[in-house]
Amino acid sequence: MSFTSLPFLVLVGLSVAVYYLLPQRVQWMVLLAASMVFYCVGGGRTVLYVFYTAATVYVAGRLLGRYNDLRRAAPKEEKKAVTAKYKPYRRAVVLFACLANFVLLYVLKYWNFTADLLQPLADTLAPGSQIPLSELVLPLGISFFMFQSVGYVIDVYRDKYPPEKNFAKLLLFVSFFPQMVQGPISRFDQLEPQLLAGRKLDFTDLKYGIQLAMWGYFKKMVIADRAAVLVGNVLDEPWSHSGSVIAVGVLFYCIQLYGDFSGGIDITRGVARMFGIDLAENFRRPLYATSLTDFWRRWHITLGAWMRDYVFYPLSLSKPFGKLGKFTRKHVKGKLGKIIPTSLATFIIYFIIGIWHGANWRYVAFGFWNGAIITASLLLAPQFLKWKQALHINDKSLGWYLFQLARTNILVFFGRYITRAPRFLTAVWMVKETFLHPNLPDLYNGTLLTLGLTGSDFLILFAGVATMLGAEWYQEKRGHIRPMLERRSPFVQWLAILVPLAVLFCFGVLRADYISSDFIYKQF
Amino acid sequence: MSSKKWFALFVATVVVLGAGVLGFNWLVDPYGVFHHKTLSWPSYEMTLNPRAAKMTYIEDHHQEYDSYLLGCSSTSSFPVEALNEYLDADFYNMIMYGADMLDVEQEAVWLLENAEVKNLVINVYLDNAKDYDTLPDPALSYAMPPATTGENAAAFLAKYLFMDPRHSLDKLTAMAQDTYLTQTFDVFNTQTGAYDKIVRDAEPIGNMDEYLEAYPVFANYPQASNDIHEDAVTGTLDSLARIRDLCAEKGVNFLVLCAPVYADYMDYFDWDQVSDFYTRLAQVTPYWDFSYSSVSFEPRYFYDETHFRNCVGEMALARVFGDDSIYIPEDFGVYVTTDNVQEHVAKMAQAAPLAEEDYTAQVPVLMYHHLDQEGNDDIVITPQLFEEHMAALAQAGYTAVFPDELAAYVNEGKALPDKPVVITFDDGYLSNYEYAWPILQKYGMKATIFVIGSTMGDTEHYKDTDYPITPHFSAQQGAEMVASGVISLQSHTYDMHQWGPYEDTDQPRENILPLEGESEEDYRESLSADCQAIRQVLGETGEESVHVMAYPGGYFDTLSQVTLLENGFDITFTTQVGCNTLIKGHPQSLLGLHRYNMNQSVTVEQLLEWVSPARG
Repeated sequence: MSFTSLPFLVLVGLSVAVYYLLPQRVQWMVLLAASMVFYCVGGGRTVLYVFYTAATVYVAGRLLGRYNDLRRAAPKEEKKAVTAKYKPYRRAVVLFACLANFVLLYVLKYWNFTADLLQPLADTLAPGSQIPLSELVLPLGISFFMFQSVGYVIDVYRDKYPPEKNFAKLLLFVSFFPQMVQGPISRFDQLEPQLLAGRKLDFTDLKYGIQLAMWGYFKKMVIADRAAVLVGNVLDEPWSHSGSVIAVGVLFYCIQLYGDFSGGIDITRGVARMFGIDLAENFRRPLYATSLTDFWRRWHITLGAWMRDYVFYPLSLSKPFGKLGKFTRKHVKGKLGKIIPTSLATFIIYFIIGIWHGANWRYVAFGFWNGAIITASLLLAPQFLKWKQALHINDKSLGWYLFQLARTNILVFFGRYITRAPRFLTAVWMVKETFLHPNLPDLYNGTLLTLGLTGSDFLILFAGVATMLGAEWYQEKRGHIRPMLERRSPFVQWLAILVPLAVLFCFGVLRADYISSDFIYKQF
Repeated sequence: MSSKKWFALFVATVVVLGAGVLGFNWLVDPYGVFHHKTLSWPSYEMTLNPRAAKMTYIEDHHQEYDSYLLGCSSTSSFPVEALNEYLDADFYNMIMYGADMLDVEQEAVWLLENAEVKNLVINVYLDNAKDYDTLPDPALSYAMPPATTGENAAAFLAKYLFMDPRHSLDKLTAMAQDTYLTQTFDVFNTQTGAYDKIVRDAEPIGNMDEYLEAYPVFANYPQASNDIHEDAVTGTLDSLARIRDLCAEKGVNFLVLCAPVYADYMDYFDWDQVSDFYTRLAQVTPYWDFSYSSVSFEPRYFYDETHFRNCVGEMALARVFGDDSIYIPEDFGVYVTTDNVQEHVAKMAQAAPLAEEDYTAQVPVLMYHHLDQEGNDDIVITPQLFEEHMAALAQAGYTAVFPDELAAYVNEGKALPDKPVVITFDDGYLSNYEYAWPILQKYGMKATIFVIGSTMGDTEHYKDTDYPITPHFSAQQGAEMVASGVISLQSHTYDMHQWGPYEDTDQPRENILPLEGESEEDYRESLSADCQAIRQVLGETGEESVHVMAYPGGYFDTLSQVTLLENGFDITFTTQVGCNTLIKGHPQSLLGLHRYNMNQSVTVEQLLEWVSPARG
């Protein structure tokens, strides 16, 4: 069930109405029912995977909770012994929960990729043999709900909070419908209390929720869906276009990706807000990031945080890494020796983030691109500092700030070549074309108007992006927009309802790639 | 503003905007599904979705029809007018583009159960062996109405209520752009249900090279994937059997026709599968098969790579109903039953094009104007040279023919002389009477004079002005010539070949094209009135049938040609140069005929060279 479909809006409207009409103690059941409807309509029988994940983390959580209780209940002097006694069990349970989910995720999402890689080997070892491919349908949002659920198990393992004893309530945490499709990846201790809390109808929640969702729809439908038309036409067949058109395609892809993803998250957070639930922020104006590291702190924040808490720190603090650190500090001179373990962990993280996006070499390369740049910037930081001092650059100046923004966005831009190209090698070719055969006249000789968008589409897109950037600049520099609006007259406030609705309808709901029907029968 | 108030305002705005959009779609109703007449335009609505809009139309007009023709788009070319005549019925053509036999069955069942039906004619096209029950297309243009499918009516209507309102906006825009001639958005004739082919049926057709240049699809036929599927064959035949049984039960006359298939399209089918399909079809019902014959090899009988022309449909129906007054190729159309199907299929495999000379003729046309002792190299020739021309033609064995004889060749297949030539005179000068007529008589030739009605008999002055005029013969003189059987008088318009400088108007009608800024309606009225007037004037000379026109100045356009056809002018001459190809069974080969301009500069040698391709 797409966010932009009418059934989704109906589901949201109905569930919000029912939610506030029912007694507070059963309100969470409305959320669960709505989530099941949402998933079954969108994913059909793959809803069983949601149950599977919920069941595995429920069992693991309960077991870990019991061990935690036992340890807590033990007299002070026996605590250590009890801890030691249960350590292998606890680890086994966490391992079970991780494997139960990640192995399934691997089979569903990555097996065919691996099988393709291994096929040549199989051909050599046993000629004629065929590694069986998975024909299972990839369930909706599986990467999101599995990561979120595994995070819960690890937190319970760490005794951060007690496990959920009611399976249905845990199922709601795993499947809360607004965030099913594209996150954010929530934390149990932040989300669950909000899901279960009963609420009285608060019109401010409704208002803020609707406003945020409308902003999301604007980014998704007016900007991203419009940009997508050009992106598809250019980048699905990059070899039919010149370097400059490819670059425009990638630029539009950046716009599309940001509009679609952050717009989707705004819709998610807006819908959740209508139920009085605050979901974690997933984007914080990434276009205003001053470095690639900063970018990743602002882009898909909850995935980054998940990686930090559940992979990066455990990895960096693990014994093998500790040993590695000692070894490199001893044997490698200078800064390099110090940063090797961090860099390695960074590479691993970005490798996982890359592969998290999908089973393809280009995502591996994407991870490598980010890891390499971040490592290089760590390594070269002292050198940069020297240059900056030599050039008498003022850190606080607007010029330097803008330079940083440009630098970051250019790095991100080239990273996008990798993720959107059909294949990794095509991405390399596309970059080459951009520089070697740009054929710049294509930018102004009307070629751009042959790529599926009309002149007015370009204008709408330009105005849309300007509005988005302007709003984000205001938020970045001044703060919230809503209070500013609320100080205006009722008429202006009404215009702030009417105009966005009209814009959404005219430039969003009415798709850019509309084909009038009479073309169907042009022949006669 | 409080949040509560804000929320109420938001809901109210959404409701008002939403209702506005839905109301707009409902009111404009571009697909014709809501059954109200506010902005009704059936031709447009049928173009967008013939399945839904035709049923809406029939629901409202079923009392005007008692018989129906069903099938995919090629069904359109079986003219309902001919069926009406042959069966004394009132047919409606229910064709749906892209229809498979399930669509046809659903429509047939609905008709048989909801309307009074005397005859049900079904077209089985070879594509019915390729596709059956193709997945329900969500597109608005292909959805079958719920009354035939049992689909939830509310869900069906909701699709059209919640659709992109630009569909509705398009209808309003099209309304503003609508013209008398067919455009891409109104391809159906509401009254007959068939495609409105007035434009395509008014295009002059003759020379093959010119045709291939105009329609390159025939020269470079596109690749087609014509796989016959057993499921489709079974489904199609089962559907047909059910329709047959229902017709029998209801006492409805049931007739199956198999539409002509273009030869290059047939080539992409597997012949064994094709013959199997036609063989099995005979086991379900006897049928008239027109699918594969010499007609299939002649691109000029087709509108495009898969759709045969209306004139071919005329021939097919004439064959079915034993009408031998029009030309029908001998191998075109066989009544197939289980008894003769094997023999028929075997014979069909041998289908081949006819030899050019068996169904086409080459006819040169000469265009004279005025005869005078002083000839020039524009439109005047001396009587002496004219006589030399006639003598040379007679000597070389040419036979002059009237346009009616061309029509008899084309429409009835009547033979032309070995070396036919058409002699014409434009404007109706007195010199035609004084000099040409006697010379023609002397050499056993005959000619057609295209008379300007308004200046007929003007010997001194142009109409009622004081301007001098080259003398024109009178009605009396015309009558003498007609009575001799040597001359046919036809139209050069009554008054649409005005001489601008002598007319007391800013916008004289110098030819039959619309005047600048003239409305389509006014123009069509003027041209029709002119047709009536010339007919009246020439009728008084004893000319039996006035249905031939030479365009003044040679100018014409689609609208003028269509209007002329509607006024019964089915043979037209231009001033374009070249020999003409006439095609039997193809009335459009009588349109826009080319002519050689004859004047003092045309030597006898030149004349003989021009007429040399003549072949009857």
